[in-house]
Amino acid sequence: MMSEKFARAGDYTAAEAMIVYGARMLAPFDGKIGIIGIGAPLLATHLAKILYCPDMKMIVETGQADADPEEVPISIMDSRLTYGSSWQMGDPEGLFPLVRGEVDFGFIGGAQIDKYGNLNSTFIGTDYNKPHKRLAGTAGAVDIGGFAKATIITMAHQKRRILEKVDYLTTPGWMVKKWPEGTMVRREEVGLPGGPIAFISSMGIMRFDDETKIMYVDRYFSGVDPKTIKENTGFDIDISRAREADPIEREELRVLREVADPLNIYRTR
Amino acid sequence: MKKSKVVSLTEAMQEVHDGDCIAMGAVVEDRRPVAAACELIRQGKKNLIILAECSLSEDILVGGGCVSAYRGTYTAIGAFGISPCTKRFAEEGKVVVDDIGHIDVCLGALATMAGAPFIASRTTLGTDVLNPAFDNVAKIRNMARNPETLPAKKYVLIEDPFYGMGTVQLHPAMKFDVFINHVQYAGEEGTVRIDGSLVFDHFAVHGAKKVIVTAEQVVPEEYLRRDPNRNQIPCTSVDMVVEVPWGGHPGQVYNFYDMDIPFMMDYVNKAKTDEGFKKWADEWIFDVKNHEGYLNKLGAARLEKLRALPPYGYRPRTKGGAK
Amino acid sequence: MAKIKLVPLREAVEVIRDGDVLFLGSLIESRRPMAAAYEIVRQGKKGLILLAECSLAEDILVGYGCAVAWRGCYTGMANFGLSPATLRKIETGEFIADDIGHIDIILGAMAAMAGSPFVATRATLGSDVLNPDYSRVGQIRKLARDPDMIPREKFILFEDPFYGEGQVKLQPAMKADVAIIHVQQAGEEGTARVEGPLAFDHYFIHAARRVILTAEQVVPEAYLRRDPNRNQIPCTSVDMVVEIPWGGHPSQVKGFYDVDMAFIRDYVKMAKSESGFQQWVDEWVLNIESHDSYLDKLGAGNLERLRSIPPYGYRPRKTCAGIA
Repeated sequence: MMSEKFARAGDYTAAEAMIVYGARMLAPFDGKIGIIGIGAPLLATHLAKILYCPDMKMIVETGQADADPEEVPISIMDSRLTYGSSWQMGDPEGLFPLVRGEVDFGFIGGAQIDKYGNLNSTFIGTDYNKPHKRLAGTAGAVDIGGFAKATIITMAHQKRRILEKVDYLTTPGWMVKKWPEGTMVRREEVGLPGGPIAFISSMGIMRFDDETKIMYVDRYFSGVDPKTIKENTGFDIDISRAREADPIEREELRVLREVADPLNIYRTR
Repeated sequence: MKKSKVVSLTEAMQEVHDGDCIAMGAVVEDRRPVAAACELIRQGKKNLIILAECSLSEDILVGGGCVSAYRGTYTAIGAFGISPCTKRFAEEGKVVVDDIGHIDVCLGALATMAGAPFIASRTTLGTDVLNPAFDNVAKIRNMARNPETLPAKKYVLIEDPFYGMGTVQLHPAMKFDVFINHVQYAGEEGTVRIDGSLVFDHFAVHGAKKVIVTAEQVVPEEYLRRDPNRNQIPCTSVDMVVEVPWGGHPGQVYNFYDMDIPFMMDYVNKAKTDEGFKKWADEWIFDVKNHEGYLNKLGAARLEKLRALPPYGYRPRTKGGAK
Repeated sequence: MAKIKLVPLREAVEVIRDGDVLFLGSLIESRRPMAAAYEIVRQGKKGLILLAECSLAEDILVGYGCAVAWRGCYTGMANFGLSPATLRKIETGEFIADDIGHIDIILGAMAAMAGSPFVATRATLGSDVLNPDYSRVGQIRKLARDPDMIPREKFILFEDPFYGEGQVKLQPAMKADVAIIHVQQAGEEGTARVEGPLAFDHYFIHAARRVILTAEQVVPEAYLRRDPNRNQIPCTSVDMVVEIPWGGHPSQVKGFYDVDMAFIRDYVKMAKSESGFQQWVDEWVLNIESHDSYLDKLGAGNLERLRSIPPYGYRPRKTCAGIA
């Protein structure tokens, strides 16, 4: 019976695992208000609303309130998010609820993450004026990560992405910069609520220590050795608390492939 | 299962606590939550702090002894003159008044919607709105059940560092414990469609801890969601929905009914004195027991003569109506 | 007699002057003023300063060298990847980026709408948006035709005197010389009805000195005025109206057509290199005489496959074989 219910490690891609575990992370937020960022979080949320939290109130930074798309949106501006929503306004109405403290969780991606859960989605390199690699910008990430009561982060697990320190602090994690000096302080000290509660990568689920606020491996996906996670992390990450994640169910994969993204628009397979 | 937010008027008004900072939606005599105001008086609320304006629905609350202070921009009822109870109570020192500008109210609600503590403005510069001798904010703050709903200061003047606009006023956010809004349509989950002016309701619903909507009609949520661009208040910002047909009478509600001019004139006339107001309140609030009693007393025929006509949304005066 | 504001696209785009601060309406790949962006390229505008984002419409302006700087929050195109020309030009130092937050842009436009010089916020506190080393505002101010369109400072930190929120940021107003917004329907006097997300358009139309609307359909003004609560842009804020069916292609326009994924993927691929971009812009912009020729080149059959259907306002993917 086991083999029928659960998929085996080789049955899915790392990107699919990231989406499925991301979707599961939203289960406790049924009935709550969440703001969903562009990219993989949109697909994971779409899957979650089908499987785990049909009554999650999804707001989008482009002003859709209680959006409930029938098809996975390709971006936060997709007409698929407008259809059937309670209210369709614009970015002010989409983002201001964050600052007012009304958003229970945010779900975002990034390009780099550091051990305190700070994200970089602006540039890679040392010279801002001539960056080695330009990225997407703050987009909504700085606002979502700054003000949601809890933030969930998802991105692929690569050594060059998970670092001691990010090149540009776009989205505040637990230890942030207090200007004008740029001293590292706890986020409460600059008046920010919330903070990152989990980072779902393509290898496992990382959380942040209650005391030190430093990232550790909480769960590794089936078929992934926690040592591999350590090797693919740009700082010396604690794997002593790591346990294997509950395996992916065949039904989750079926819904992802046949219902959530049948045309593979998100290129997860 | 989606949660229905529909409750009775009695139940909804129980959410208002003595000493709360409240605002009532729309302005003057249009789309005012009058039925809600009458129910607050029946429930004997005390020490409410009224924000934004003291016009038709607020003046009834003042007359009913529910109000201890007011911060806002307007204490009149359009063509019907100065709000009679507000005038009397202010002159007798029974209601503390703190005057600010109309744009100040808009900016205050806008700042709250944006989650911003303040916004810069050139409004009211050069006027006595900024006169420290007329600043009652500290006094009103002490009267509030939640003092932190009100700002620690009325305003601060600073030099604009960005565009050389000179000295500007930092205007604090305007927050509400409860915002009561009368609208044309609400869905059972709280999505709202308004016809006519939004006034500052579309800002204020995001600046209140609790939002109560009284609606002429509660319609299927799904119907409103067929055109999200036509809705002005999202379900996510509404706590309670009450169906109250004619809930804005004697004011007008665009596309539903026109103003009941004789009723308004009778009110402003009677409310000029304490005894007059008491007589009016006995007749129209207490003796009728509830909103249905109020409607029955008005009579179906009288209401029919107020009903708005398409395509106007009001009752053209040359074609009959309230006279 | 009410003023008729209808003009041809060429005439509307001629009001943009080199060095202007320009806002292009909506976001990413939805309701973008693409036809207007192509015309800006054809007219060879120079020195433009872009606001808000560098996505589909703006990337073409950056690629062709019409724009020199940008203040905003996003240089990507959602699922299609990062904005290829913008990336290239920022990495070579040819194009100046001044990064701010998404809420910063909104508050900037909101302050401008309210006639306020600034608004207080906690947005971006703790992040490198506040890093003084990364502020390019002074430099951008010098590049602007009218420097007073750009604030003297990027931000100021200030103690909240009202609600004890601690140190907050004063965020300056964000103003534009010209805003170009693509909408579903506009009346001949400029009243406009938008379907789907408004993005920041309902703020920026009040933050710009001149507002140009390009519309899928110009409809009788009187028709739009039958339901004023359904309109988002008032005639009093609009200077010019241009009718351009499919003027947002390859982006999506709710109620009219869905996104042309193949076209955008092709653009993103081509624009990754200077020569690829040049080839693309020759084919789709410079060697095309008019918007009519652009549509004919796309082909009526292809366009029909993108047309949205009721009640969705988009094209459900199972009915649009060949698009994905």
